[in-house]
Amino acid sequence: MDTLIELWNYYAQNYSYVWEEFYKHFLMSAYGVLFAAIIAIPVGIFIARHAHLSKWVFSFTNIIQTIPALAMLAVLMLVMGLGPNTVIAALFLYSLLPIIRNTYTGIRNVDQALIESGRGMGMTKFQLLRMVELPLALSVIMAGLRTALVIGISIATIGAFIGSGGLGAIIIRGTNVTDGTAIILAGAIPTALMAVVADLGMGWLEKRLMPGRKKSNNEQSNAI
Amino acid sequence: MFHKQKKYLIIVLVVSLLVLNGCSLPGLGGSSKNTIKIGTLNTSESMTVAYIIKQLIEHKTDYKAEIIGNMGSSIVQHQALEQGEVDITATRYTGTDLPGALNMDPVTDPDKALKIVQREFDKRFDQTWFDPYGFENSYAFTVTGDLAEEKNLEKVSDIEEYASDLRLGVDNAWLNRAGDGYQGFIETYGFEFGKAYPMQIGLVYKAVESGEMDVVLAYTTDGRIEEFDLVNLEDDKQFFPPYDASPVASNDILKKFPEVRDILELLEGKIEQEAMRRMNYEADVKMKEPAVVAKEFLQEHNYFDNE
Repeated sequence: MDTLIELWNYYAQNYSYVWEEFYKHFLMSAYGVLFAAIIAIPVGIFIARHAHLSKWVFSFTNIIQTIPALAMLAVLMLVMGLGPNTVIAALFLYSLLPIIRNTYTGIRNVDQALIESGRGMGMTKFQLLRMVELPLALSVIMAGLRTALVIGISIATIGAFIGSGGLGAIIIRGTNVTDGTAIILAGAIPTALMAVVADLGMGWLEKRLMPGRKKSNNEQSNAI
Repeated sequence: MFHKQKKYLIIVLVVSLLVLNGCSLPGLGGSSKNTIKIGTLNTSESMTVAYIIKQLIEHKTDYKAEIIGNMGSSIVQHQALEQGEVDITATRYTGTDLPGALNMDPVTDPDKALKIVQREFDKRFDQTWFDPYGFENSYAFTVTGDLAEEKNLEKVSDIEEYASDLRLGVDNAWLNRAGDGYQGFIETYGFEFGKAYPMQIGLVYKAVESGEMDVVLAYTTDGRIEEFDLVNLEDDKQFFPPYDASPVASNDILKKFPEVRDILELLEGKIEQEAMRRMNYEADVKMKEPAVVAKEFLQEHNYFDNE
């Protein structure tokens, strides 16, 4: 109970600071995923076409995924220095696997019959991709972005160790003061909340983009 | 078809803009040209002072300042500054950096120590070590207010006659440290305590308050000294080297942004021991964030606008 009161006091005194760090934290995670998406989606499409390359790409991204986050940050720090950009680079690397894998799976799982009929209608390769494959694979790709974002939010917490700020800074401070339970919670709760909300939000988007939803699907595919 | 293409164009434009912006992402400040980076230790004290500098820079100039926090030790701060990772380090202590960064013997006279670090940092690293803020985060033998009153203790020498009955709680590292460790203490003061217990530095305050220990070796700016009504005993034989805190900045940044020099000079002697202890108390015990504590400090002093 005491901890709850302390927690309340903490937020009452520091709400502007917490909000600042929350915003920073979210931006870092979002940028990491965004940049990864810019690279990973085309790569995913490419290896879906050239399946023999997929083995190499996946082993590479798998290796990245096995590196512990703290080690990754430490190594990147040697190259890129301290600060948020290094964290974004780490998140970028961690986001590659889920996005590439989901793009690959999504594109590969498009019904061959549909592609054939598209081709039969005289669509070019690009038109096939844009009008048939991408719309059908979109919800799977979104699921990849969703995983990447949730992982990103959790890893960004560690970024505070290399001076990037974010909610992790609050948690680390909580571990440094005498009785920091409330401060640790004050940093951990918004982080968890952000991950849950991001997961729900992306899940909702993913559902909206399901190929089954015929009507809105047309609009959505146009918007892509 | 036409408007679809337009949409593509917009998307491509936005994406490429974002990529081009890679170095200073909107919302994050990043490493853009007019950002001054301030390095801090992972202590509340260091962070509070860093936020004071940051907010003062942003209040008085158009530059942005960014905190690079949570550096593990003074050596890490020193290296970050050397390699240009940060432009200013918020708190550097004479007693730490003399043997640390400079690899020289500790000097017990505060003025001499300051002169040496100022000269050497300028010569060896092309950095400016400013005059102290006015507080000193040193070790001090600390007792409860009650005990101090009862036995009339003011200086460390005053303990001598009771020492053999007293329990001493100290930092793990200090017990076996050469130079200014326990052995050195015994040689300088000529007495030892009944029993010395090694413990984590963070626990000594509670230990002495609750009566588990009679005397502890504490940090002089710790907020808990105030909270628990503890008293620091004066180091009358100048056994501990001085730990006056100053900012250190690279000369490059001072040339590039001359206003930064004015701001750091403005803070000389402005943060006194009592004030720092109170701010540590707010941050460590009252759970205010250093950013908030710093803001209140500056508001209280009106951002030193009248000086």
